[in-house]
Amino acid sequence: MKTLKYILRLLYLLLSIFIVGCEDNLELEPEQSLLPEVATSNPANVQNILTGIYDEAGQTVSYGGRINLASELLANSGDLSWNGTFEQPAQLIEKQLVPDNTFVRDYWLNAYEVSNQANIVLDNLSVFEEDADRNRVEGEAKFLRGLAYFDLARLFGQPYAAGGGNTQLGVPIVLKAVLNPSEVTFPQRETVEEVYAQVISDLGQAYNLLPDSNNEFADKYAAQALLARVYLQQGNYEAARDAADDVLQNSGHSLTSTYAGAFNNEGNSDEDIFAWQITSQDGINDMNTFWATRAFGGRSNSADVSINASFMTIFDDPDDVRGQFFYNGGTVSTKWQSQFANIPFLRIAEMHLIRAESNFRLTTTIGMVPLAEINALRARSNADPLAALTLQDIIDERKRELAFEGFALHDIKRLQGTVGALNYDDNFLVMPIPQRERDANPDGLPQNPGY
Amino acid sequence: MRLHHYKLFMLAFLISGMMCAQQQISGTVQGEGGLPLPGVNIIIQGKSTGTQTDFDGQYTINAKIGEVLVYSYLGFVTQQITVSGQNEINVVLKEDVGVLEEVVVVGFGTQSRRKITANIASIAANQINEIPTPSVQSALTGKAAGVQVTQINGKVEGGIKVRVRGISTISSSQEPLYVIDGIPITNNDESINDSPINPLIALNPNDIESIDILKDASSAAIYGARGTNGVIIITTKQGKRGKTKVSINSSYGISEATNTRDWLNANQYVELMTESALNNGFSQAFIDGQFDFYANGLDWRNGEIDTDWQELALVDGSIQDFGVSISGGGEKTRFFISTSYNNTDGIIRGNQLERYSFRSNLDHDISNKFKVGTNTTVSKSVIDRIANDNQFATPLQAIAQSPLSPAYLADGVTPNTESTEYYNFLMQEFNGSFKTNVWRVLANTYLQYQIIPELNFRTEVGYDFLSQVAEQFSGSLTESASVGGFGTANAVQTEKYNLNNYFTYNQVFNDIFDVEGTIGMSYEDSVRRLQFAQGQGFPSDDLQTLDSAAEITAGGSNRTRFNFLSYFGRATLSIADKYLFKASIRYDGSSRFGEDNRFGWFPAASVGWIVSEEEFLKNSEVLSLFKIRGSWGVTGNAGIGNFASLSLFQGSPYNQRAGLAPTQLGNPSLKWERTTQVDVGLDYGFFNGRISGEIDYYVKDTEDLLLDEPVPGTSGFITITRNIGELRNKGFEFVLNTKNIVTQNLTWSTSINLSTNDNEVTSLPGGDIIAGRNLVRKGESISSFYVVEFAGADPANGDALFVRNTVNADGTIDRSTTNNFNEAERIIAGSPFPDFTAGMTNTVSYKGIDFSFTFQGEWGASIYNNGGRFQSGNARFFDNQTVDQLDRWQQPGDITNVPQARLFSTNGQQASTRYLQESDFIRLRNLTLGYTIPRDITRKFQMDRVRIYFAGFNLLTFTDYDGYDPESTADFNADTDAQAGEAFYSAPPAKTYTLGINIDF
Repeated sequence: MKTLKYILRLLYLLLSIFIVGCEDNLELEPEQSLLPEVATSNPANVQNILTGIYDEAGQTVSYGGRINLASELLANSGDLSWNGTFEQPAQLIEKQLVPDNTFVRDYWLNAYEVSNQANIVLDNLSVFEEDADRNRVEGEAKFLRGLAYFDLARLFGQPYAAGGGNTQLGVPIVLKAVLNPSEVTFPQRETVEEVYAQVISDLGQAYNLLPDSNNEFADKYAAQALLARVYLQQGNYEAARDAADDVLQNSGHSLTSTYAGAFNNEGNSDEDIFAWQITSQDGINDMNTFWATRAFGGRSNSADVSINASFMTIFDDPDDVRGQFFYNGGTVSTKWQSQFANIPFLRIAEMHLIRAESNFRLTTTIGMVPLAEINALRARSNADPLAALTLQDIIDERKRELAFEGFALHDIKRLQGTVGALNYDDNFLVMPIPQRERDANPDGLPQNPGY
Repeated sequence: MRLHHYKLFMLAFLISGMMCAQQQISGTVQGEGGLPLPGVNIIIQGKSTGTQTDFDGQYTINAKIGEVLVYSYLGFVTQQITVSGQNEINVVLKEDVGVLEEVVVVGFGTQSRRKITANIASIAANQINEIPTPSVQSALTGKAAGVQVTQINGKVEGGIKVRVRGISTISSSQEPLYVIDGIPITNNDESINDSPINPLIALNPNDIESIDILKDASSAAIYGARGTNGVIIITTKQGKRGKTKVSINSSYGISEATNTRDWLNANQYVELMTESALNNGFSQAFIDGQFDFYANGLDWRNGEIDTDWQELALVDGSIQDFGVSISGGGEKTRFFISTSYNNTDGIIRGNQLERYSFRSNLDHDISNKFKVGTNTTVSKSVIDRIANDNQFATPLQAIAQSPLSPAYLADGVTPNTESTEYYNFLMQEFNGSFKTNVWRVLANTYLQYQIIPELNFRTEVGYDFLSQVAEQFSGSLTESASVGGFGTANAVQTEKYNLNNYFTYNQVFNDIFDVEGTIGMSYEDSVRRLQFAQGQGFPSDDLQTLDSAAEITAGGSNRTRFNFLSYFGRATLSIADKYLFKASIRYDGSSRFGEDNRFGWFPAASVGWIVSEEEFLKNSEVLSLFKIRGSWGVTGNAGIGNFASLSLFQGSPYNQRAGLAPTQLGNPSLKWERTTQVDVGLDYGFFNGRISGEIDYYVKDTEDLLLDEPVPGTSGFITITRNIGELRNKGFEFVLNTKNIVTQNLTWSTSINLSTNDNEVTSLPGGDIIAGRNLVRKGESISSFYVVEFAGADPANGDALFVRNTVNADGTIDRSTTNNFNEAERIIAGSPFPDFTAGMTNTVSYKGIDFSFTFQGEWGASIYNNGGRFQSGNARFFDNQTVDQLDRWQQPGDITNVPQARLFSTNGQQASTRYLQESDFIRLRNLTLGYTIPRDITRKFQMDRVRIYFAGFNLLTFTDYDGYDPESTADFNADTDAQAGEAFYSAPPAKTYTLGINIDF
């Protein structure tokens, strides 16, 4: 019996030691993730969160390709064909969007992820001790947030009517960071006017805060170039002209010597004021996925989006290299041929077109005479100079130059054109508020008319 | 006195053949059918002397006149014979037709079935052996009430869903806990391509002795926070004392798909597509051009080309299984060792499984008090894999290809990728490879010490190692042509340690009060490590490892860990073998739960009354068993992410620069889901067990559901995991076992199980959750289908019509139709889960012939075919169509459900009831017909038993479902969320015929 007691005691001792050790083991921390307290605790980490916003915005579902795809397909009235099996783009090209279209949902979700991450950075600027760092980080975060709201307003709100006072519903504006569940809010849709005001405020501050150059990240001229685009969309030609002129005069960027040189680049070209960075290791060029043939990395043999012959009528000079910038029998644009190339986002060519159009409308010649400016752009592409200039010439030039880069829908809306039988302000050229979003926030988000 | 008694007890089992100089008695022990019974225990009552029968059923023993010989054998009624001077005693043992003394594994111990107050389904080895499927779970289909087993689709390594008493969760794991030889094992799918790999594929089904499924809470609560989905306890074979037995099993068979579908042939395709193109304003020249493209130079107009893509994707398979086991033991040591080889060639082209397994189970008695043992298995599986259902490269997506496209180029060898609508999957096999190796080690060691006869201590240490390496290569002709070939290597190692320490106590007081108790602790710790790399640009298609890649484009590694610390106790009391009581408690803590709720209690209690033991029934000729039982208990579901309670940031690089992004909204109060289950049941037996069975009714209420509750996307997040919501499963289970014929030469028994399950979401504070076509809504069955109601084609113009189903001002439903999809409201149109399931197994033996088969059926579920919009979408795309699309609307007045064909224009292809269909079915799940060659012949060849058999699996299917298979659903949808019941180019399972032979030496 003595041995028994001894053994029992020993077992008891072993068990106790083991169990005490175990209790502590239940406190585990993840090895691939940081807790928010750590992630926002020092300048290096907040800088990393900022870099993470570019990654977020550059996802395939948004600036990695699908925002451009949406603009081009919604604006299409015959120049493009959708050959792919994805139902979501088919709904875009047919103007038959349904509220549970996952592409539509993802534009929305991605924009607010960008917005929240920017808000997290903006709430933690105090970790930076150097003014220069803090200003740059604040400027970049505001640039990205402004960008997100600009496209939200354009995709989910009725078109901005020049002159202001736009009371049609835009999207909710969320400026406070959410890091834990108690901070989640159920915001209301603000008017398009208010969203544009927020965009201009963010981009204006970004311009003031950002340095003159900032590698492949946003610098002050990226903010200014985006402002030019925003003002043009508003029909505020003076502001658009001046912003474009500032970029053209001071950013140091210029047109590449050839048109082809502006595309399929691994790094930024001279012409890129801002481009989404893609490498073979990071990021996916979803423009390539849908707009290139399989031989070049696209989804299908003859490209999911093909260009029809009707588009070619826009070219007025057979020598215009832009009219030859196609392959696969002229049905696929060469702009998105390289699978791991950057996606140009703000090009100098666009600034020329904005300045020329604004000058022309205002009958001013700030920076350059419109005719000369258009002819300079044409000259790069080996197109004959125009003898005289009309507004339509400039609009056509925009189309020749910027085709398939996501401008189509927004140009139709600001120019009050049509898409087939649909007027520029047709309900079905505006995206529905995503079903999941209305399910999650039923009181704050009335559906857009028509859906 | 007590000590003396116990010594006798032990010696009776351990020591045989203690000589006492008496007369020698010999004889034969037979069963009722005349078959000799080997291994029957024969002891002299009150003494330590004993022996066993040999393989011919013969024995010899020395005994004195007046002593009593006790003949006992598992499954037979024990017989006592008093020695009265004779030299030969031949005994015929009666089969114990009742199931009373059956032993059930209950988790940290065993119990006699008679005294069980819980609901536990037991499946013996002979019910699952020889079923020609490589996965253990598939063999269980239809064998137990309330246990639904569904093979996701026809891939050989494919995931298998096991659902015990319905779905008790929305966001967490729906899988039961698997416990093998006392050790909870890792059950994570580690597939790299969203098509799950069955983690139990590594197990050799022939090593299994029994499977016990703990269904109700009073049994499962001993596994606390992981008991809600049921517990499947697998016990492997152990050696038995006696002659060494060698068993060989070898089988070979062929397989094919259970079903194929009818697709348009080339002429029909040309007709329908031409019409579709012309209807939508395309020119004849355009469509001819398209056909020319597909035909790639062949003359499609004269029928030169008519490719049957389905035939290329679904091929004839085969299955080969070979196993040897050797078992036996001496006085102190018993062993079971086995090795096996399985080679299953799938019915989907390019899909294959090879498995090698080794097992050694040892038990040793160090002394009367100390017992040690180990169970070890090592297995290796090599799988040739194919893409998930959502990839062009998966074989069955070939059915979308035009029949006008040749499968191969003119050389007849190179797959045609020049003129196919989609990527030609044949290229994947021709110019790529995708192999996954799985190594699995399950080892455990126990030490058992008998402190006093009534009190035992047992300690178990378990180790579970799952290592999986997936290597994929796509060559220069595949989809990865644009990057010059693409390769991936992905390695995962999951280790799990487990320690169980527990005491068991068993004593009978006053011959009436039988008390059993268990108390102990358990600790588990699991670490998972992953490393992967991928690269592109290969110099040659023959160089397929990443060493040759021009560029490494991605790589990474990660580690994650979780653990559980638990204490548990259980006490049972039976009074006079009539009144049964049981109570248990478990205290579970886990790193997975939020710090506010790290530990929880899981109590359970149950009672039973064996009415038939009461005096007024005891002598009934008719009623042999009547037991009423009731149980209550609380279990949990901890199947959530390892760090779901924390807010997290993760690496999110941009342009090769470090970045961080928030990935998860934390919730520090997160805890396990809590299920309270009440079960009332009765066990019955009539005519000495000729008719027996169980009837149960259960109500399973789950609260604190872990829900990925959608939050407004404006927060920057999509969901947050919260403990909200409640749901209820309730249902009846009936089990009826009958022994229809029991004669010397012929026995026939039938086992029927029926179960109902009614699932209802009882509380959902966050409102509806919609995931794809599925809806979670209060008052409805979980994951109900939620789609617009399709109303056929408008006879006037061929437009697809939908029922509006909007609510009118007066509250009625507007049943008018519209051709504008956006004007129609979604309705609840079915459930992905059956509400009635049934299984019936018949076993017949006649002399040397044995015959058994299982029918299984499910009713009440539907399947949404998400590929329907391409496959049966009135030629909206160039995808080949099912032949029923020829019924399309063509001219005003046509009444049809197929709208007008309009190429590239949506006309009825939206998500609607058009693609939803009920999937009720009855299936001949397995059938075995065997013949045992008479012993007197086989003995001449020194063989104890030789049996040849035919076995089949999924031989017949009766269903009105039009899709590939009423059980096949898409493999790329996560297993654990609200999305369920969708098919998407999902291959049917295999129908298998095998011939095999068993030889025992």
